[in-house]
Amino acid sequence: MKPFQSIAVGYDGSHDATVAARWAMEAAKDFGAVVTIVHATGLREHLHQQFVADVTPPELIALAQECAFDESGLHWLVANGDACSVLLRMASPPINADMLVVGSRGEGKREGLLLGSTSLEVAEHASVPVVVVPSSYVEN
Amino acid sequence: MVLVVNETFDDSSHEDAGHPERPDRLVAARTAIDDLHLDEDLVVVPAHSATREELVRVHIGNYLDELSAYCYSGGGDIDQDTYATLNSFTIAKYAAGSGLAVIDELQRRNDGVGFVAARPPGHHALADRAMGFCLLNNVAVAAAALRSQGERVLIVDWDVHHGNGTQQIFWDVPEVLYVSTHQWPLFPGTGSVNEVGGRHATDRTVNIPLPPGATGDIVRRGIDEMAGPVIDAFDPTWVLVSAGFDAHREDPMADLRLTSGDFALMARGVSDYAPQPGRLVMFLEGGYDLDALRSSIHASLSAALGQTYDGESPSNGGPGTEQIERMRQARRSTIELLHTSDDEESTR
Repeated sequence: MKPFQSIAVGYDGSHDATVAARWAMEAAKDFGAVVTIVHATGLREHLHQQFVADVTPPELIALAQECAFDESGLHWLVANGDACSVLLRMASPPINADMLVVGSRGEGKREGLLLGSTSLEVAEHASVPVVVVPSSYVEN
Repeated sequence: MVLVVNETFDDSSHEDAGHPERPDRLVAARTAIDDLHLDEDLVVVPAHSATREELVRVHIGNYLDELSAYCYSGGGDIDQDTYATLNSFTIAKYAAGSGLAVIDELQRRNDGVGFVAARPPGHHALADRAMGFCLLNNVAVAAAALRSQGERVLIVDWDVHHGNGTQQIFWDVPEVLYVSTHQWPLFPGTGSVNEVGGRHATDRTVNIPLPPGATGDIVRRGIDEMAGPVIDAFDPTWVLVSAGFDAHREDPMADLRLTSGDFALMARGVSDYAPQPGRLVMFLEGGYDLDALRSSIHASLSAALGQTYDGESPSNGGPGTEQIERMRQARRSTIELLHTSDDEESTR
């Protein structure tokens, strides 16, 4: 099987997203892939912008150093849309991601429902393999 | 001319503390209607809860089941923007059904203008997914019902955000023409000029993306020059408007610079596309500054009813003029390319 070359990770600054980004960087080292970390700018974020397009968040740079992941292979992207749509779009040009990575969130009472779960929505609609990283990944 | 509006339904429990899409928006809309002082020329039709049959014309049954289960299990955040509460599915069905009730009354009268004052809004809702504050696609449910009656439906979407849900639902449907003016780039990230419709409906989607700061003169010019000829050729039998008012310069959710006077001119413009009285319905979408929302609805309805509007003057002088011709050419090139590839495929 052809190794993965381009991995896209959804990122919203949460613990779960950071865990997913860590997994993606470690996997990318094995595959020799580039990693695009993408933040979806939602409708309400116009009121309070959380991330800037041209500035990779310092915590991600620190994470790359911690993982010994070559920063030249790390790309930061801010895109308009909901988290699911934006991540799905990463599988198309110009990013052409061949793997999507997303953090997992416990949804207790809504187990089995797609609604409210970005990871399940992405897995349902994606055209490339999707990895859902459990929030306990680092600890384990 | 009469104004046909839906009866108020209790939307108070579809609320999330601090969220901009809130019940006060409908209070502002009702105030705008009251300010028209229409007396017996105001016709209020009973609210209607959309049936499953009416909803599955645009939404996938599994999604309706999921949304229903999600709400009845207590709701919560669906994504970073969109919430649902215990009663949201019930309320959303009333929002989606209200357009159908207004249309029924307009058909009965063959006269008047319709306005659907309902929330949650709808134009971001996809066939199988909620997003952007929207649960069910209200304008799409109405357009699909009209289509099932053999009508040709023009949807003009002047909300500041692209109506990705409506575009997706009618992407390959030749009986529905979707025209959108919106700020670009902005949520939801769709609405490029190169998105022109599916293989069976090429030219049935017209996107007019506008730069931040664009004023009303640019929006109107975009509609006239880019969409006008397409609309004329389409010859709609009904005109539905996704009437968001967040392109107003006071709205906090975007950066266009329109005034309520611009909405009056735009409403008059879309009225001209309706083939006869009783064939124009406006659906409330966005609009989050309550004063701007009230004045803009008032302006739009005044103009659509043929009244004089003497509030805010129309705006002009913003950026974007030079883009219109470029967008027109880009759109034409995309359509030619699609036709060429279709021709090549058919000769293979």
